[in-house]
Amino acid sequence: MTKEKIDIKIKPLGFLDLLAFKKLVPTRKKKIAAAAAAPFPGNPPVNALAAQLHPEVQHLKVSEVREETENVKTYKLVADTDRGTERLAFFRPGQYLSLEFKINGSTVTRPYSISSSPQEALNGYYEITIKKDDDGYISGYIHEQWSVGSAVTASGPQGHFYYDNLRDSSNLAAIAGGCGVTPFRSMAKSIVEGDLPVKLTIFYGSNKRQDIIFLEEMEQLAASSNGAVRIVHVLAGEEAEGFEHGFITADLLRKYVDVNDCSFFICGPQAMYNYLSNEIAGLKIRNKYIRRELFGEIKQINNTKGYPAGAVAEMYSVKVHTGSQVRVIEADPSESLLVALERAGFCPPSACRSGSCGVCRSLLIKGEHFIPEDVDARREADKKFGFIHPCISYPLGDLEIILPRKKKD
Amino acid sequence: MSAGSFNESYDAVVIGAGNGGLIAAATLAEKGVKTILFEQHNLPGGFATSFTRGRFEFEPSLHEISDFGPPEDKGNVRILLEDRIGLDAEWMRVPEAYRLIIPDDVGGRIDAVMPFGEEAFLDKMEEYVPGSRPSVVKFIRLCEEVVDAFSYLGQSKGNPDKKVLTGTYANFLKTASYTLQDILDAVKMPYRAQKIITAYWCYLGLGVNLVNFSIFAAMFYRYITREAFIPRYRSHGYTAALEMKIRELGGEIQYNTRVDKILVEDGRVAGVETSQGDKIKTTRVIANASPHSVYSKLIYPQSAVPEIAYKTCNARKVGFSAFVVYLGLDKSASDLGIDEYSYFIYSIPDTNHIYDAFHRLERPVGQATVCLNNAIPDCSPEGTSILYLTTLFDGNCWSDVKPSEYFNLKNKIAEEMIDEFEKAVGVNVRDSIEEIEVATPATFAGYTGAYNGSVYGYEPVPWDSIVPRMMTMNDEKYIGGLEFAGGFAFRCHGYSSSLQSGETAALLTFRDLMEVKSQ
Repeated sequence: MTKEKIDIKIKPLGFLDLLAFKKLVPTRKKKIAAAAAAPFPGNPPVNALAAQLHPEVQHLKVSEVREETENVKTYKLVADTDRGTERLAFFRPGQYLSLEFKINGSTVTRPYSISSSPQEALNGYYEITIKKDDDGYISGYIHEQWSVGSAVTASGPQGHFYYDNLRDSSNLAAIAGGCGVTPFRSMAKSIVEGDLPVKLTIFYGSNKRQDIIFLEEMEQLAASSNGAVRIVHVLAGEEAEGFEHGFITADLLRKYVDVNDCSFFICGPQAMYNYLSNEIAGLKIRNKYIRRELFGEIKQINNTKGYPAGAVAEMYSVKVHTGSQVRVIEADPSESLLVALERAGFCPPSACRSGSCGVCRSLLIKGEHFIPEDVDARREADKKFGFIHPCISYPLGDLEIILPRKKKD
Repeated sequence: MSAGSFNESYDAVVIGAGNGGLIAAATLAEKGVKTILFEQHNLPGGFATSFTRGRFEFEPSLHEISDFGPPEDKGNVRILLEDRIGLDAEWMRVPEAYRLIIPDDVGGRIDAVMPFGEEAFLDKMEEYVPGSRPSVVKFIRLCEEVVDAFSYLGQSKGNPDKKVLTGTYANFLKTASYTLQDILDAVKMPYRAQKIITAYWCYLGLGVNLVNFSIFAAMFYRYITREAFIPRYRSHGYTAALEMKIRELGGEIQYNTRVDKILVEDGRVAGVETSQGDKIKTTRVIANASPHSVYSKLIYPQSAVPEIAYKTCNARKVGFSAFVVYLGLDKSASDLGIDEYSYFIYSIPDTNHIYDAFHRLERPVGQATVCLNNAIPDCSPEGTSILYLTTLFDGNCWSDVKPSEYFNLKNKIAEEMIDEFEKAVGVNVRDSIEEIEVATPATFAGYTGAYNGSVYGYEPVPWDSIVPRMMTMNDEKYIGGLEFAGGFAFRCHGYSSSLQSGETAALLTFRDLMEVKSQ
């Protein structure tokens, strides 16, 4: 293309355009000189809104403890104004809090679903409902140590296990096992309060009647929900009038809901997920209609698909660079690297402990490790460059890593 | 504070691992400068990152990088990343410039698919707007001169020959103080051609009556002649590569570490303090943050901020924040009938009215929407696709939103945008949503601490566009040893500007360090 020689004129006379150019800097200086000299807010409105929605930390204290069953307690948590938290962050039913514990020189976290409703957060409290597990280090600690007035350090609300009207069917089928019913209590309450416009059928698997958490309360919620909340109890360990018996099977789901017009929300122990995966696969449901809550750390890593045979052996060593420190620690191959770091007294950042949130993202310098494929939610580039999420990484040899420091307020 | 209480000392501290900060740290580390980069988040990139939901890894903010160029005709950004920094990242070519849809323009619907390449662009424009060619040629020639003039200014390192400027680059000088609309009128471009050629306006976030011509010209010409590129593994693909490169070059990075104070003594940087309790002695700081944030929160003591710094900030307008709907769809792009990569959909024709509407919390009247699979076919599993819809908001119109209304509000706006897209393009995406995430100005503010959630820098109106910023760079240095990088720096916003601003800030810092050493 032949290039045309141009002589642009914006004003009628060309020299006026050059004059306009010469005035650019003086104009700028005039604008600045004429502006207000007062400092402006360091925390403008949108940043303030962000801080309310996503606080880095919420300082809470226990205001009430209720026994739900023999080994399950509900803790009511309120803002601890003495430690600087004025109000609780709003959330979506189904979200969790990551709680931080300092026990015997270790700093560890645990995610717990919020069992109360968002309205209740506006009224000043969250509730979390915790089952004391036989091998539960933290749940045992909570049951023994927490009482009215205990200080609790929590994250802002986290997670993506919630109803979305643009994605989901407005018919929800919740499948819960044991303490996995907690997010559905939040949803049921929210429905009754008029904030969640869905129909919810909860399939709740328990061993025996006495193990059912929120038995009467959920009946009451269902009764006052105008038909929007329904609960189907499924008992594996006994037969009882008015209760389904056995496991939650595809046939059982079909008996109560139209599986082709339903969004499934599943929350329960690892064993339940494994069992349900087969049942649900048979229903040929699109991915978009199945949500699984994260189930936390993997138990019995050596039984996980893809784990090299006979790898769980002796302890390994991990050289850890963090801040300007370097330290070598021991790691038990049957436990995640995150647990090894916590045991050794580091304060590794963490939240979901299920591979998903990426808060514990660290750089592996060298060493062999195992990451279960189905929980590996790392970014593509992180896989390429050797970043790992220690919460789902299991040492298969000596390791060297760069661990980020935990955020501080 | 006396120097003795610092626990470490660095030649330079970089605040923030966004595009500007990462490049600054890599450039300094490469030159052997003892450098530490502090990032408050646990990832590199700032907005140039990625996030995963289910089977999808989403691109949070980038639509396309300009001035990148194909390997055989490298643009400045490719030269910077590949040749000077030696980055290990993969890039994909964006297939077309854009598809512009204005459903209700005064002269009827505009629906134009514009190609890259000057000749192809001109031909297509003539097809859509017969008779437009002479004015469009003239416009493109002016844009070319602007780009050439910027190259010359870059080569002359701040000492251009006035004769060369007034001789070879006279049109550059004559247009520098005007708006885009002024130039469209001067070249007498037909109305519909103006609509089509200005489609990229929303990347600058200012209506055509307000945006400076020079900055638009540079962006437009580089897209049309050098095409557009995107990182294959989302922006995290290259920002993680930058992280690796900085470490490889001996630079340090500390995540989860917010710089709380830039300590100033006698008008010069003396050190920084962080949220982790680090006390660092340094004489050079590069801030990948806005002057608004730095002067209002970081400079310590606050009395070290001169009045003129506040005045400079108050005179300028902080650019828009964004609102983005990310969709992971369980159908392929072709099954959905989404054929293009980049869609600009303007529900009302006048860009100035759209600009005004972005200051109100109401149904969005403009969106830039990307279907990632049309540039990266395997960016999501087979039979799925990624679509993200972006509009802009002035942060202030979100100031009265209550947290209890927030989630419903964001899905309401998201739904309006999806409706608008479906209507304009004639497709259904709503029924295929497998994953959805919605980012609002509060999300952007929360994620990086950006001032009022701004994803753009200061608005590039004629008096605050790249040319006057360059000409006053030295006058407006209010704290000795402090440079700015990123979207708020002198090159204005956008990925390519932010990346290059990091290099400039590093080179200025390096030059100063060398001068001190030689004294």
